[in-house]
Amino acid sequence: DKSTGPPRSWRPLRERTERPPVMSRKKTPKCKGGSVPAASALPAANGPRPVRPGTAHPGPEAPPNGPPQFGRPSLGGGGDFYDVAFKVMLVGDSGVGKTCLLVRFKDGAFLAGTFISTVGIDFRNKVLDVDGVKVKLQIWDTAGQERFRSVTHAYYRDAHALLLLYDVTNKASFDNIQAWLTEIQEYAQHNVVLMLLGNKVDSAHERVVKREDGEKLAKEYGLPFMETSAKSGLNVDLAFTAIAKELKQRSTKASSEPRFRLHEYVKNEGQGSSCCRS
Amino acid sequence: MEPAERLQAARARVPRVDPYGFERPADFDYAAYEEFFSTYLVILTKRAIKWSRLLKGGGAVRRSATVKRYVRKGIPLEHRARVWMAVSGAQAQMDQNPGYYHRLLQGEGSSCLEEAIRTDLNRTFPDNVRFRKTAEPCLQKTLYNVLLAYGMHNQGVGYCQGMNFIAGYLILITKNEEESFWLLDALVGRILPDYYSPAMLGLKTDQEVLAELVRLKMPAVAALMEGHGVLWTLVVSRWFICLFVDILPVETVLRIWDCLFNEGSKILFRVALTLIKQHQTFILEATSVPDICDRFKQITRGSFVTECHTFMQKIFSEPGSLSMTTITRLRESRRAALLAQG
Repeated sequence: DKSTGPPRSWRPLRERTERPPVMSRKKTPKCKGGSVPAASALPAANGPRPVRPGTAHPGPEAPPNGPPQFGRPSLGGGGDFYDVAFKVMLVGDSGVGKTCLLVRFKDGAFLAGTFISTVGIDFRNKVLDVDGVKVKLQIWDTAGQERFRSVTHAYYRDAHALLLLYDVTNKASFDNIQAWLTEIQEYAQHNVVLMLLGNKVDSAHERVVKREDGEKLAKEYGLPFMETSAKSGLNVDLAFTAIAKELKQRSTKASSEPRFRLHEYVKNEGQGSSCCRS
Repeated sequence: MEPAERLQAARARVPRVDPYGFERPADFDYAAYEEFFSTYLVILTKRAIKWSRLLKGGGAVRRSATVKRYVRKGIPLEHRARVWMAVSGAQAQMDQNPGYYHRLLQGEGSSCLEEAIRTDLNRTFPDNVRFRKTAEPCLQKTLYNVLLAYGMHNQGVGYCQGMNFIAGYLILITKNEEESFWLLDALVGRILPDYYSPAMLGLKTDQEVLAELVRLKMPAVAALMEGHGVLWTLVVSRWFICLFVDILPVETVLRIWDCLFNEGSKILFRVALTLIKQHQTFILEATSVPDICDRFKQITRGSFVTECHTFMQKIFSEPGSLSMTTITRLRESRRAALLAQG
């Protein structure tokens, strides 16, 4: 039943991040028909196929849903240099602004009236500098219409992070968040980095979902939360940067560095966020 | 002339908006297009004369060996709507159900359906001047009506994203709401096997069928995909759902649809297999999943697909034999396998 939220046993993110990033492989994709776990198919450098990341980088730094790809700074699939790569997926109802958010982040642009409905699944890459480490985010953009979920959820399991969006001017898209969480819980890795975003806050007059409602829902599920605007750019880079920081931290053992705390980061850095209220 | 001058001259001669209302993209290769079009114009003229002779007297177009040969060589734009209507059976349906389309629109709506369609109106062909909000007449309203009527007519399907692009093309070609509706019904209801219903089983089946055909005809490509764990849905779902709209050039899509309406969904496999086979070496150079995805996008661009007449000849020769018996058998087995997986 899509209307029920995740069971309470579902661990909130805060708790999960306290643990070392290696966990059970309960949800590891099955290798059938000669296919390798898709995680190992992360962007290869030019030349020979990468060593199976499991062998190349043993040890606890590899998150179960896809060892991030490390390596010599190299020319990746997107033609850009990076040290480590992660998969991020954008999910949420049709028309909440997933593609717009991605284009705003990728190209810094918002061209009203130039977007077409996303059919199926698509992706774009962007490399971020996170504390001197080049983190490549491979961002998967999905069709929001419910019937496409059966086509796209096969990709959830490979995602290191999910950005779950609703549209603050569309109540139904907010009401569907629980159904999305159920979907995510069923198909994504259980330690996936998850963030809730209320998009289109530039449309102040049309807003029907209050910030407090978003905050409340996020708190209930232990999710970091921000309001964004792909149109104005509000909090867009921040959302992706926060994800990149969290993923980078999970993938490295550098315990000398101060621990990155996703919730606090998002809370403190987010513009227009209720940083002063608890 | 220097290449730069030639380009400038071509830019001046080729309109910025194509005959269907689409603005040419910023990176449009005007010089290459003009070169292709000068040859294609000769073919178009020749075909126009042939078709005029065939359609002389205004009688009904019936499916026949001659019509099939003619259709494969391209239906002239001025006859396209009429021929699509005839060979797809849409005309017969429309004649047998007078007033049905308008009754659908007058009936009680469904707010869920209306909302789903409305979400996509602004996101259907923003690059087409006739679909702009400011256009007069604005085709967004026509599109809304066609999709709404179809959703009411076929409630098992309702509205599925992708149908907006298909209906949009039908509207641009027929310039007629009711005809667009009946052609959409021909495609969704009869020609395509269950692509758009909520379970999308027909779509999933056909993606698997394509995978199997690639395995048989181009085992190296199949091995590459399997080796990287790439599901075919990742690279070809849009090909099937949008029937190549917004993937291949407009003229090429229309030529494909000519055959699709007359010969059925088998044509989609021919197109897909031709694209892959023609670029086999290029695809096999891919070294990662994103690289594979990227290459599958690249093979849908460039002169090979722009030169639609040659392309259409290729789809009937390149993939080799492709009997309907084979397709039907593969569809049955793949579908059963999918159902067994649950």
